[in-house]
Amino acid sequence: MIELRDIRKVFNEGKPHALTAVDGVSLVLDARAVTVLQGPSGSGKTTLLSLVGCMARPTEGRILLGDREITSLPERFLTDVRRRTFGFIFQQFNLVKGISALENVMLPAYPLGEHHASLKKRARALLDLFGILPRESSKAEWLSGGEAQRTAICRALINDPQIIIADEPTAHLDTKLSREFMDIVGRFKAEQKTVIIASHDPLVYGSPVVDRVITMRDGKIEAAGR
Amino acid sequence: MGNWFERQRNIIDFTLSSLVRRKGKNLALLLVYALLVFLLASVMFFTHALRREASFVLQGAPEIVVQRMSAGRHELIPARYLGMIKGIRGVSGVRGRLWGYYFDPFSGANYTLMVPEAFSHGSGDVIIGQGIARTRLVGPGDVLSFQRYDGTPAILTVREVLPSASELVSSDLIVLSENDFRRFFGMAPGLYTDIVLTVRNAKEVATVAGKVQKLLPDTRPILKSEILRTYDTIFDWRSGIIVVILSSAVLAFIIFAWDKASGLSAEERKEIGILKAIGWETSDVLLMKFWEGAAVSLTAFLAGVLLAYVHVFFTPVMLFEPVLKGWSTLYPSFKLVPFINPYQVATLFFLTVVPYTVATIVPSWRAATIDPDSVMRS
Amino acid sequence: MRKSTLFFMSLAVQSVLLIGAFTHAAYQHGRDAFILGETAALVKRLELTDLCLFTEARYTRHPTQADLHSPFQDHPLSFEHFPSGSLLALPKGIGGR
Repeated sequence: MIELRDIRKVFNEGKPHALTAVDGVSLVLDARAVTVLQGPSGSGKTTLLSLVGCMARPTEGRILLGDREITSLPERFLTDVRRRTFGFIFQQFNLVKGISALENVMLPAYPLGEHHASLKKRARALLDLFGILPRESSKAEWLSGGEAQRTAICRALINDPQIIIADEPTAHLDTKLSREFMDIVGRFKAEQKTVIIASHDPLVYGSPVVDRVITMRDGKIEAAGR
Repeated sequence: MGNWFERQRNIIDFTLSSLVRRKGKNLALLLVYALLVFLLASVMFFTHALRREASFVLQGAPEIVVQRMSAGRHELIPARYLGMIKGIRGVSGVRGRLWGYYFDPFSGANYTLMVPEAFSHGSGDVIIGQGIARTRLVGPGDVLSFQRYDGTPAILTVREVLPSASELVSSDLIVLSENDFRRFFGMAPGLYTDIVLTVRNAKEVATVAGKVQKLLPDTRPILKSEILRTYDTIFDWRSGIIVVILSSAVLAFIIFAWDKASGLSAEERKEIGILKAIGWETSDVLLMKFWEGAAVSLTAFLAGVLLAYVHVFFTPVMLFEPVLKGWSTLYPSFKLVPFINPYQVATLFFLTVVPYTVATIVPSWRAATIDPDSVMRS
Repeated sequence: MRKSTLFFMSLAVQSVLLIGAFTHAAYQHGRDAFILGETAALVKRLELTDLCLFTEARYTRHPTQADLHSPFQDHPLSFEHFPSGSLLALPKGIGGR
């Protein structure tokens, strides 16, 4: 369970071009459910996602992960919480170019000091699970859109996170691949993982696997769904 | 917190993968860097070995040489000075030296003619250095013909060639008898080139030299310690070529550092952003950058040092050959006794590896502290 | 093979070679001490004062025996005519040292 209390996030605070991206949001997100944040671009859903994922700190308010307050943790602990709890799938996939798909998948686990052989085994098992093991040694920029997406998903899963966060995951995918992605989300759900997605793609928020759709506008929650 | 060593290795894996991506650029960088270390190390090894050898070999040099000065020039010294110096307390021996130069128009080289205290051969015989044997293509039994001061020919028979191992001090020597020398240059019997002294107590050398100068104000004593000091400053860092090499090396380094400092491309920044987003800490990113700098500079350093060692002690030191030859026609061919010490290598290490690694890490510092969510915002 | 393994191996090989260079220098030095000793004996016997490094001029052949001003015939701080002159430091007492 993730609880947000009166969250506000202001960029460039105190400067003339200050921007309030999230404005007084209170929310309780259920564990082991698929939640979609929906809304036009600039509505604050990506910012809210990064706050939930411990990538940024709120300007005001508190975030509780289970019963642990995470907003006041120092950076090192926050990073540690983040990499053990969350798996991220980005809009642009954000694979590191010039290195192989396999290395991209292993990348988040490198600083944890896991033994190379066992890490490689897990990464290959993941690639196999998503049917892209034959492409393991291809460089990231040679992968097709679907392959890149799957590689990015494998990378998000390498540290076996409880919560998966995806920001506009279908923005660069065609309909077929988008549907496939939602099938994968269904698999996550079946594995008792919590999934939080920001998207304005009807294919995503209209999907049957989604438990709850929260609509945002101008940094506020317009409809909390249920 | 996992295994420390595995963490380092994992990050090195990624660093090397990153370096391999820009193969051409990084390989060129490595080569230039290794060349730079090679130059610096060659200069260092060569000069240290030469200085060491000089200080060892010249321990045998005379304790005091007394020259006579006349009108600001080195003049021949009269034999009566010998007796006067001998009377100084503390002096255990004096001897008039005879030596001079001969320009050989045949080979275009300068030779040093020298009369030893005891010459083992007779009149008309000479012992020559390897350099002369080489330039004039002569060996024992062959004849050399020179021209005396008055234009008459001097026919000298080579009896011995000095060992090639001693070429660093003897390459251009012609050792001959006193009679031959005097006839050669037309030097009257009462004159010597200079006087060498031996002193009973080594601690009194300076005192004796002072007494000589007081007794004979037109002389200039040269102490062995001065001779040794001269060779201790040879190839000093202030001397021309060393400054040139050092300054070009420093310039190259500044260019490196500049390229590194300003060269954190948008792509590299984005990559650091991705790493942060997928859970790398600031310290992980800096560790990666550290290894990037360390991998390049350690490899270049070791390769450069090893090549320099081979260059200086196994091959005819090509880098210094034109410098040593200068305008001379006759030059010694010598092999230095290998000499390196950890201090030299450590100096080089701190001159090259450390600044380069720092130059790699520092510019990444700001990029490494960006918020992880910057990737999502862009 | 892992890239880090290759890296460590290359570092190890280079380090071993460096240690080899040190060892070689030490060994060779012990061996050549004899030759150096012979040269030193020659220096003593012939009462030599200088290294035969540069034979082009009096003051480069015997820098320790040259007149104080001979490397600077025109002016004490004028540039050298011979390249080897640039390898020698100023005589003591000239140029403010």
